This record gives sequence, C-alpha cells and structure tokens, in this order.
Amino acid sequence: MSADLVRAAQGGDTMAMNDLLSELTPYLGRICGPIALDNGPDAVQEALIAIFRNLGSLRDPRALHGWARAIAVREAVRIARRRHQAVELTELPSRQDVESAVNIRDVLKRLSAEHRAVLVLRDLEGLPEDEAARLLRVPEGTVKSRLHRARRSFRNAWRS
Amino acid sequence: MDPVRRLRVLASAISGACVVERVIPAPFEDIWSVVSALEEEFGTFEPDMRHLTVVSGHGSERLVVKARSRYGMRARFDVELCPGWCWMQSRFLIVGVAAVPVPGGTLVAQTGGVRVPGRAALVPVGVRTAGEKALARLEAKVTRR
Repeated sequence: MSADLVRAAQGGDTMAMNDLLSELTPYLGRICGPIALDNGPDAVQEALIAIFRNLGSLRDPRALHGWARAIAVREAVRIARRRHQAVELTELPSRQDVESAVNIRDVLKRLSAEHRAVLVLRDLEGLPEDEAARLLRVPEGTVKSRLHRARRSFRNAWRS
Repeated sequence: MDPVRRLRVLASAISGACVVERVIPAPFEDIWSVVSALEEEFGTFEPDMRHLTVVSGHGSERLVVKARSRYGMRARFDVELCPGWCWMQSRFLIVGVAAVPVPGGTLVAQTGGVRVPGRAALVPVGVRTAGEKALARLEAKVTRR
C-alpha cells in the first residue's frame, strides 16, 4: 500500500478512500473473523468506520496497518462481548466437550473474545507479548495466561 | 463485506453524507442491469444526472465519465463500477449506489450530493430527499418492466 494513497484519502479524495477500503477489508476480515466469529462482518464494518473517521489523525501513513489492526481487535472484542456470544472461560472445555468439537471454530467459540484476541495477535499476527498487551490494554502477564489457556484448549482438541 | 456495508463505511467518512436504503422487490440482476447502464439508464433515476458518456475504461471497473446535470452543468467523474457497487466522484459531486440480494428482493443503498470541492464532505442540504427520490425512481423503473 502506497503512502500516497493514504495521503490522498486523508486529503478527502473519495476514490482513494474507496481504494484504501478495498485494500484494508480482507486484512481486517482476517483479524475480526476469529475474534467476533458470527459477528465478524459487523466487527469489520465498525472497525472500518472508526478507521476512516479517524484517518486524518494518522500521522505516518506507513503505520496504517498496525493502527488499523489495533482498532479492529478492539472493535471485534467489543462487539463479541456486546452480543453475548462469548462464553467467559473460567474453566477449560472438558475432555468430552473437546471431543465433540468438530473444528477450530467450535474450539474458538468456547473461548472468550479476549482469549481469541490474544490468539489472533500472537499466533496469527506474530506480535510479541508486550505489543499484544499494549494493544489490548492489559498487563503482559494477562496476555501470557490467556495465551497459555487458549493454546492448551487447542492442544486438547487436536489430541482428542 | 457486502457492497451495502461498504457504502455505509465510505459514507460514514464523508461529512454530511446520508445513506438511504430500500428493499426493492426485484432480482439483483434486474436492478443492476439498470444501475450499471451508465449511458442509457443512470440518468433516468439519479435526480441530478441527465446524460452520461463513458470517455475511457469501457468494459473495465475503472471508468472516466462525462456527465451533464439537469441544469446543464458538465462534470468529469472518476468511476468504479462492478457488480453491486458504483462509486462516482467529480470535483463537485459524489454518487454511490450499492446493491445486495436479500430475501424478498434486493437491498439497494444510495448516497451522494454536492461535494465541498477537494474534501470528503457534502453540502448537507437535501441529501436524504435526493437519495429517496433516486431509489423510488429506480424501483418504479425496474418494477414497470
């Protein structure tokens, strides 16, 4: 993505905004989908609205992806929580529960939106723990514990 | 993200823009054959447009179009046109139309109006009325067929 395109969009060129939308949408879909699950399209829409409304505040166009990713993760968590889709993970799924899980989506549904967000940031986006913690506005230790729980539930699922 | 959602997003970033939506009880293909016929049909339902001529980009998704308004003014538009999506921008006007099949017909969304030159902003006067008029005309045209 060229910095010129971002600057043109910031300058009010709606054709450039349209092009930027085409570039960002698939990327945000990959972020929001695993976190907001069935509400993924709503999360993408809300994230894009927040991004485009605040595009003028982005000083360095090269930082667009990281900035957009942070907004998308927060929107996806917010929407997943609001829709009560997430079941707060107080205990890991039981062995029987995991055995009945048929795919990754089923396992993801058993995690809270916050746990799914940690998985996306660490395992899909490859962010270090401190960056993930800063983005999610939680202590680094919380990221570690959420990641540990989330990964453990996946390992159990694969072994079943 | 479907084209109607896309239109909502883009319009949200344009100060003064208003998105008007309507379910038209007709198949998507019937609706889009009218919307995408820029030279033959577009000016029959968009209130500010009369004649449109494609200057370049025939058959592609990116076009340059010359348009004449009902008041005789001329404008050069950059256009993106693909199934379910039409976005047009000139120095003084913005028009967007999106459509997606839904149960019972096609959800069509429209936005646009007089642009504040050089900015992502519309003069917020009559934009809702103009949009509603455009979709009512489009529905009448398609259902008359």
